[in-house]
Amino acid sequence: MTSPRRIDLLRDVLDHEIVDADGIACGMVDDIEFVATPNGPAVAALLVGPGAWLTRVPSLVAVIGEWLFGRSRVSVPWEHVVDISEVIRLDAKAADLRLGRLDAKVGRWLAKLPMS
Amino acid sequence: MGKAAELFLGILTAMGGFVEIGELTFTLDGGAHFGYQLLWVTALGTLGIMVYCEMAGRVAAVKRRPVFSLIRERNGFTAALATLLAANIVNLLTCTAEIGGVALIWQLMSGWPYRALLVAAMAFFLLVVWFMPFEWIERVFGLGGLLMIVFIAAVWTMGPDWGEMAAGFVPRPPQVQGPRDGLLYAYFAVALMSSIMLPYETYFYASGGIEDDWKPSDISLNRFVVIVGFGLGALLSVALVAIGAEFFGPHRIEPQLPGTAALAAAAQFGKLGLFIALLGMFFAFAGAAIETALSGAYNLAQFAGWPWGKYKKPREAGRFSLTWIAAFVVGTLVVMSGIDPVKVVEYSIVFSVVVLPFTYFPVLMVANDRRIMGEHANGLLAKVLGWFFLVAITVTALAAIPLFILTHGGRG
Repeated sequence: MTSPRRIDLLRDVLDHEIVDADGIACGMVDDIEFVATPNGPAVAALLVGPGAWLTRVPSLVAVIGEWLFGRSRVSVPWEHVVDISEVIRLDAKAADLRLGRLDAKVGRWLAKLPMS
Repeated sequence: MGKAAELFLGILTAMGGFVEIGELTFTLDGGAHFGYQLLWVTALGTLGIMVYCEMAGRVAAVKRRPVFSLIRERNGFTAALATLLAANIVNLLTCTAEIGGVALIWQLMSGWPYRALLVAAMAFFLLVVWFMPFEWIERVFGLGGLLMIVFIAAVWTMGPDWGEMAAGFVPRPPQVQGPRDGLLYAYFAVALMSSIMLPYETYFYASGGIEDDWKPSDISLNRFVVIVGFGLGALLSVALVAIGAEFFGPHRIEPQLPGTAALAAAAQFGKLGLFIALLGMFFAFAGAAIETALSGAYNLAQFAGWPWGKYKKPREAGRFSLTWIAAFVVGTLVVMSGIDPVKVVEYSIVFSVVVLPFTYFPVLMVANDRRIMGEHANGLLAKVLGWFFLVAITVTALAAIPLFILTHGGRG
């Protein structure tokens, strides 16, 4: 029996690219959410968006960041993570997890132009 | 064309890095001031950019990991954000300067008003990048930039002092007139090193390798592309130093306008030489404008985890496409305000040297890591060269801004 693979959350998960079930990039792991369980803390979700990374930067940068980008964030339940390698692969589509919505919106707008 | 066509990625990257508007004027000016004494910096910088682009290209081929995603992963969010801001300011400044450079070249060729040509240049870039596939951008602007070989031919026919030129490749105490001139020499050495090792070359090259769908089997191709592409860029740099030393220096001309460079080709080959030189400069500047605009978009998309790539349709990579469009539009607006493009690029070169250690450190760390790269991790030679150049660029970065202030931006 092989021993379970050890995952270093800081090195292998945080600040890594997230790829959805279709292989499309849909954000970075900006923060990791833990919950308290009877067995101790456990990873609950990957957090994506300014609301997640604003807590990681110096306060002055956070003020400017919030003014520019707002505080929205998306929580991706840990159960959707199917592979942790160079990228974090999910078993669901980005749209179903509310990821990459701005890209989809800009894409729809650009689609009106020729050869887009 | 097959695999040989990949060479154009190296040529385009090298042209955009080695003979863009900033380095063109800088190298000529350095040659006019100090003769061949700065050639060793050109050789050292070329080896440095070869080492790091080879590493970044190898990581891209083996793991399909672009540079900015490594920067964020290895340096952490805050340091990566600072690098992103600095790198993209440099990209925007350089793109701005190149748009201005293209309009200046068109003005020399047509005599039309500069501002109208700036708008035409913006429209040209937007249309080219929107409609042309990545591989055709590589081929057209890489091949067109090769017209700059006219400068190598010009040096050949000038019959330069080959002995003096060869001696320039050996580092030795500079022959200068007083301490101020010594500082100016140090400033030129630092700025030349920075302009050869511009960080956007690495961002663009590695992202371009991923655009071209490189695989681990393309590692030797990557090495070949780097050596030939950057070697050619370096040869052009050497030719420009020689033109500065043999043509402009003796005539006491300070070649600070990009069009001045073409005079050397005109003096040797007449109107045809002038036309080829201007056309070559157009392709080199335009290649650099495209390289920097796309680099800015690559960096932002890779930092934020957006879909990216010219191989995708613009609607499939919305924010990436919007970023390079914004780079051309903002760059044009900045240069339309009347700012001198050459001044813009001088600032961007000095500013970019500060970004270099933050860019190259994560590339070195990942390329060294056997856990990630397996059998394709750095060998002893790549490790030694990687650490040597990391120390060299850190020293350069520390010296850049004090020297810029002390020499009044290279004006002595």
